[in-house]
Amino acid sequence: MTAPEDVPSPIIQAQSLSKWYGQVIGLNTFQLRVMPGITGIVGPNGSGKSTFFKLVLGLIRPNAGSITVLGRSPWKNPDLHSSIGFCPDYESLPGDSTGREFLTLVGRLHMMHGTALSKRVQEVVKLVEMEKALDRKTGVYSKGMRQRMKIAGAMLHDPKLLILDEPLSGTDPLVRKDIIDLIKRLHKDLGHDVIVSSHVLYEIERMTHNVALVYKGRAVASGDISEIRNLMDSHPHNIIIEGGRITALAKTLLDQTYVVSVSFNDSKESVTVQVSKPDDFFNDLPALIDKSQCTVNKMYSLDDNLEAVFKYLVGR
Amino acid sequence: MDLKRVLVGIFALTLHSTKKLLFDKKVIITVLVALFVAAVMGYAGSQSNDPLEDGTNLMDTLILFFFMPVMAMIFGSSLIRDEIDDKSITHVATAPLDRAFSYLGYYLPLGIVVSVSMVAISSVGMLAFFGQHGLGSESLEIYLAFIALVVIGSFVYSSLFLAISTLFTKPVLVGLFYAFIWEGYIGSLPGAIQKASVKHYLRSLGSGWVDFGDISKWDQASSMWGSAAVLLGLTVFLLVLGAYLFREKELA
Repeated sequence: MTAPEDVPSPIIQAQSLSKWYGQVIGLNTFQLRVMPGITGIVGPNGSGKSTFFKLVLGLIRPNAGSITVLGRSPWKNPDLHSSIGFCPDYESLPGDSTGREFLTLVGRLHMMHGTALSKRVQEVVKLVEMEKALDRKTGVYSKGMRQRMKIAGAMLHDPKLLILDEPLSGTDPLVRKDIIDLIKRLHKDLGHDVIVSSHVLYEIERMTHNVALVYKGRAVASGDISEIRNLMDSHPHNIIIEGGRITALAKTLLDQTYVVSVSFNDSKESVTVQVSKPDDFFNDLPALIDKSQCTVNKMYSLDDNLEAVFKYLVGR
Repeated sequence: MDLKRVLVGIFALTLHSTKKLLFDKKVIITVLVALFVAAVMGYAGSQSNDPLEDGTNLMDTLILFFFMPVMAMIFGSSLIRDEIDDKSITHVATAPLDRAFSYLGYYLPLGIVVSVSMVAISSVGMLAFFGQHGLGSESLEIYLAFIALVVIGSFVYSSLFLAISTLFTKPVLVGLFYAFIWEGYIGSLPGAIQKASVKHYLRSLGSGWVDFGDISKWDQASSMWGSAAVLLGLTVFLLVLGAYLFREKELA
């Protein structure tokens, strides 16, 4: 007889979880185990990510199946909220309150008071770099500032588990980088388990390699992101190229075996290239640009092939 | 159940919501109503030959009969619904406090703010009317009786409109119907039907406390203790019902 290995237990376990709103299905026999660390929940808008989070927080009750969070059922279990911090994807800050008033309310609701609360408020606003805006009304905050303040509210009571629903949504690239760095620090330096959602895979990829794909109310895959990347690479990859003399480049590209299609966008200075082998494409591209004598000003990859992976995973 | 956590949570919410309600734009309505009451009672006071009778009747009709339910409706009928709609309720719903107790954290500030508004409106009206005739001990008795009635009324009506705010998605419409049609019309019909209104029991209390005006001679008044029991029972029932509904509510 061998001793059981020291395997960490899942922080969230959803089994055959279903939730519907009238005739609209939010989650459909949703199965997921979330282990400690940073976990990314990736799925297109309306896929069920927020419904899942609301079930995790006990804001709504499941119609079928079960869910446990930190070993406990969340519905009508307010004690569990001591261990969870939540940053919603919607605007939830009271616009007529200052950042300090908001954090003071959240702190008091979590049994914090006096100098300990004031000190903790200062700590978290420093962490999210919102010290200067603390005494301004949240109604005048920019989108990025509101996101930071919501994250500050979520982590104020130092919860074990942080749930961040689309924290990068609507923020500019600089703010995105800051928030991504912050999320990584929350786990690495402060030991929080973090579940973060996004509809953009590469954003999640910058925070964690542990992801779950959610599509049409179901968790269609979970695990290491590289496996999902491999799946994505087996589906046509859309890349947009913008610049001068793009027509010449387009003609050259059509001769390549890994190019599935080339289509012009609004102008003749922008094309969408669909490739079957992205690595070969990126390796050959400098030579192809040189050959066609074009100039490339901008090039970016669309993650819409994630949609193809979702369809593949659900067998459609 | 951690009693300390519950009390701290209720206190935190009470503090927050009281401040929010007091600095809300709705307070402008309190000021406008107070100015209106001052103008009406001031003019009436200048024309009155029997100030104790006329002043009492005005307080009864204008304050207790009309503005009491209306002000409670204005402050209370959308308090929780507004937070559900603007989603700021998320921070309360994800706090480690049972929602049944959070509900109390909305009720107490609502009762306090409606009381403060109604006491202010009543005081302005009394001063505008009786200030012209001298504030004697009898007018002070009338004043104190009506202050007690509006404070009791504030907490009873607050429990009613807060329950409406929790139960309905369009609470203002239901609140308007209740304040104007039910209390205003049904509550003034002759016969037993008026006993289905809060106003009947408030006026019944008033008929035992005030020695002047029509209210003191009101022949349809219920007994004082019976009325007090009905108002208390109704408030407790509505609070329990509202807290239960709020606890069971899905905040999607």
